[in-house]
Amino acid sequence: MFRYQSSKNSGAKSWVWQRITGLALVVLMIGHYILMHYHPDSGHTYEAVIKRMSFSWYRIIDLTFLTLGFYHGLNGIWGIFRDYNLKNWLKISIISVLVIGGIAFITWGYSIIFSIPYGTVVSKP
Amino acid sequence: MPEITPDKIKTFDQKEWIKENLSYHKDTGSWAWIFHRLSGIALIAYLFLHVYSLSTLTHGKEAFETKMQAFLSPPFLIMEWVLFIFVLFHSLNGVRIVLVDWADGARYHKQLYVFSWIVGLILFFVMGFIMFSHEILKFFGK
Repeated sequence: MFRYQSSKNSGAKSWVWQRITGLALVVLMIGHYILMHYHPDSGHTYEAVIKRMSFSWYRIIDLTFLTLGFYHGLNGIWGIFRDYNLKNWLKISIISVLVIGGIAFITWGYSIIFSIPYGTVVSKP
Repeated sequence: MPEITPDKIKTFDQKEWIKENLSYHKDTGSWAWIFHRLSGIALIAYLFLHVYSLSTLTHGKEAFETKMQAFLSPPFLIMEWVLFIFVLFHSLNGVRIVLVDWADGARYHKQLYVFSWIVGLILFFVMGFIMFSHEILKFFGK
């Protein structure tokens, strides 16, 4: 009896992960804003990007940020749909769109980050 | 005693779902829920756009900086600034949700909601001043 009342597969895990990733994103977002928008140039010039991207740890943070952002965002969108009593085919279609779209954009983001060359560009004096 | 039949019970009218939803009495939690949802949708939409807009990084310096110049124009700056209030509210209210779920937040969730807005709006206007300081100071003739 209690077996079937377990909340293991009812979305409880996704609920916990939504909170954990959310908290992580708050921390990452503060860093992102300070780094990228402290000065207009730091977010908008190629040199600044290359300079940051020459640190592997920065790339790792960026990849984490990207993955967590899409996971949290798309899981949130799925959460909205879960509020409505949708038909099964519709659920499957929506999940497919979200998962495929998410994987496509995460992969695109990864490929952008990996394509940025290592090394510092000599900036104009 | 009058008999209660299913047709006499007030249920959710699916055809009038917008009207039904709007008719609900809304308190702190419902407003927080509505704003959290709207800001969340805006943020994930922006995230897709963000990856797209940075894709020119693969095409070298010129392509990237040409695109970035476009984002430094006033309409985009204002849109970026508005995006910041979505980020702020979603972050602060997100912390509020975690406190309600995992800590003693249910006792002071209303104060946390007000706190989210106050801190959010203060940071929003500070950011506005930082972003548009040049224009603001020029306006006041400094």
